[in-house]
Amino acid sequence: MNMSRTTSTLRIQEIVAGYTPGHPVLRGVNLVAKPGHITVVLGPNGAGKSTLLRSIAGFLRPSSGSIVLGETEISALPPHRHIERGIALLPQGRSTFPELTVTENIELGGWTMRSDRKRLRRAVEAMFERYSHLRELRNKPTGALSGGQQRAVEIARLIVSDPTVLLIDEPSVGLSPIVASQVYRELQALKAEGRAILLVDQDVRAAINVADYVYVLNSGRNDIEGDSSAFHGDLGAMVRRWLGV
Amino acid sequence: MLEHLAAIAADGILLGLIYAIAGLGLSLVLGIMGIVNVAHSAFIMLGSFFAFELFERLGIDPIISFFLALPVFFVLGTVVYRMLLTRLERVAQAQGLVAMFGLMVLIENLGTIVWTTDTRVITASYTNSSVVVGGLFIAKVKLIAGILALALTAIFWAFLRFTLVGRAIRAMSQNRDAAMSAGIDVRRLSTMMFGLGIACAGAAGVALAMIFPFSPNTQVQWLAWAFLVVILGGLGNVANTLVAGLIVGLLQTLCAAFLPFDYVYLVLYVLLAAVLVLRREGLTLAVRRAI
Repeated sequence: MNMSRTTSTLRIQEIVAGYTPGHPVLRGVNLVAKPGHITVVLGPNGAGKSTLLRSIAGFLRPSSGSIVLGETEISALPPHRHIERGIALLPQGRSTFPELTVTENIELGGWTMRSDRKRLRRAVEAMFERYSHLRELRNKPTGALSGGQQRAVEIARLIVSDPTVLLIDEPSVGLSPIVASQVYRELQALKAEGRAILLVDQDVRAAINVADYVYVLNSGRNDIEGDSSAFHGDLGAMVRRWLGV
Repeated sequence: MLEHLAAIAADGILLGLIYAIAGLGLSLVLGIMGIVNVAHSAFIMLGSFFAFELFERLGIDPIISFFLALPVFFVLGTVVYRMLLTRLERVAQAQGLVAMFGLMVLIENLGTIVWTTDTRVITASYTNSSVVVGGLFIAKVKLIAGILALALTAIFWAFLRFTLVGRAIRAMSQNRDAAMSAGIDVRRLSTMMFGLGIACAGAAGVALAMIFPFSPNTQVQWLAWAFLVVILGGLGNVANTLVAGLIVGLLQTLCAAFLPFDYVYLVLYVLLAAVLVLRREGLTLAVRRAI
């Protein structure tokens, strides 16, 4: 793994995006995700958190606003071109290819390296070094693995091409507390490698514990933001405000 | 009696191999891409006439035409995908089905204009000869067509299982968004997959033309055969499609041997209805993503 990777800041400026014309989910969101930082996006259901990640990842083209990585505007790029720019998305829910083996899943994460098979093989082996418990499972279909093992495969597939910006959507959903805490520890390790991590999470406390900076969205707009230390206080009050009670 | 049964079984297996490739392209396109390509049989018909024209005009043997059909129909498939299918991505499945039905009618009618409704046959040097295999007399043409079909099925299976592109196609069918996130250009792979499906149809058309008489109207009958194989075998699974093809081939030859000819279709369509009623997914539980 390249510890001295060159990373760029991801800047989201006034983006408006949605699934139905005339009914935007995001209504002018601003956000910055810096290298070596975990930037967390919180908010009630329907605030637009996942929509924000899908817009950045190219699945949803913003109707206005800009998404800039370093100096490059990327809002018009199709999803499959983002990984070439070093942006990788871990979508919400299970995202393995269940009928393919662990090795095949990880290998496909390095699709952009396919013209250099030796490099691809080395990168896959590096993932088995990093997540050694996957080595003995390498020839098993991922659909036969436990939830935690599948998440490890997803993370290995996510980083096998050594992306610099990671978009992570609800990483602990469906996992036991022990496995979830391992996932958050891994996010901190990935941050320590200099990657910019943009994390969307419903588990407010866990997310704030790993966050460097926190944005709260509400109804598709920026609500409050600040260093994570500012959010360690009365989380209950914030959640009650979201729920309107 | 035993020898007679063995001969029927051999005949059925060879026919089944050809039915398997007739259904394979349809199964993969439907299973992986979710496209109900009712025009599949029209491309099978074009494959038959492709072999016929090459044989009649240039004297090219259907065995060579089988291999020539693969690149020609692959390109044809990619053109159809780019010109028609990309425009149907965002419409309801029923509209897509109507569009593909329209394409089928268009190809059949163009075929009728060009070749009329006359029934054609290809009579190669080996068409009316037979070989003895294990004491059984087997029509040489069926043996050749069956071997070609088996080879093509094996190539498809190996391509999807052992190549990175094949695995990317399987990944695309299992989780399209995750495949895109990994950097896989799903539109490009879909174009390739549709092209491969049509290449398979073209090759199947050549193999069928080596054995059966054909005309532009025959394609409707082949569509029913192809769907029967797909429904029996489940979607998008090469091995299951092969097994389903063999079942259909064996049933056809067994029925033809012991029942009046008209009953063959009755038995097969009752079987089709029974499968649909009893087990919607086909003989396996392999639905869409399992390839």
